Amino acid sequence: MDFKLRKAEPADVSDILRLVKELAKHEEMEDQVLLTEKDLLEDGFGETPFYRCVLAEVQTETSRSKVVGFAMYYFTYDPWVGKQLYLEDFFIMEAYRGLGIGSELLRHLSDLAVTCRCTGMMFVVAENNEPSIRFYKRRGAEDLSKDEGWRVFRFDRDSLLRMATPTEE
Amino acid sequence: MARFILRKAEPKDVSDILRLIKELAKFEEMEEKVILTEKDLLEDGFGDHPFYHCLVAEVPEDQCSEGSTVIGFAMYYFTYDPWIGKLLYLEDFFVMHQYRGLGIGSHILKVLSETAVKTRCSSMHFIVAENNSKSIEFYKRRGAADLSSEEGWRLFEIDKKDLLKMSSQ
Repeated sequence: MDFKLRKAEPADVSDILRLVKELAKHEEMEDQVLLTEKDLLEDGFGETPFYRCVLAEVQTETSRSKVVGFAMYYFTYDPWVGKQLYLEDFFIMEAYRGLGIGSELLRHLSDLAVTCRCTGMMFVVAENNEPSIRFYKRRGAEDLSKDEGWRVFRFDRDSLLRMATPTEE
Repeated sequence: MARFILRKAEPKDVSDILRLIKELAKFEEMEEKVILTEKDLLEDGFGDHPFYHCLVAEVPEDQCSEGSTVIGFAMYYFTYDPWIGKLLYLEDFFVMHQYRGLGIGSHILKVLSETAVKTRCSSMHFIVAENNSKSIEFYKRRGAADLSSEEGWRLFEIDKKDLLKMSSQ
């Protein structure tokens, strides 16, 4: 099947949201997606993009183009080596797997990272997601959590508000 | 009671930022891994598109024993969660040894929390080495959750040589 990759445009936000929700459903977390098309539009296509997207498109039998996969990424900064490409979401619809779309997306992102003078690409994977772990390790990915003992932490909004409000002493 | 101020970093601060990055790396026994230069920091942080933001902590001249008045910093940038949107990512956070225990670290975290809330970020993320129990306690006391522990996320990286390998396939 023929497919092509292209940069996402403002008109794509409904497809992006659809695929974000499909991936979340895949992780049994669909109700946790609070983002709206409006957020995606403002955050991705405003003055400062907070994320970027590459889409995979196929031509259907009726010759309409259908977005069947996406990669959402942004740039981060490692204080030792500089710019990195951070792969945030990466998903191909089930019916379109095994066709090389995922590999091609990853290759496209690698190109991008090298062109933008990034020293690496980073991403997190759930520790029980063995097919994905294998997919990435086959291409040279290292598990930093395992090799270097890094743990991901988070302050949620409640904690932020608590910290931001002056405390009484 | 030590006096100090926190302020946004300016282009002239890049040599102090690099010095503190190296001090933190030395603290982790990784000083030779810092290959970033002042020129990189200048271009990447103060160009058209900043890839990072920095807060610096400064003491009055009469309070610093030698050299510069900049004695602490926090480096951060914005990331994007496809379920909830913008996040503040705390990349580096360091106060020089002799200026610890004075509330500078807490104050930095407070200002970062305010920044996160103001820019409508849903949370602040960061990673901590699993053997750095002092830092883990510092963060947990303020409400941080260990996502690696609770949600099983593992941080992965594909380095430049493997990116090049993939992009040339």
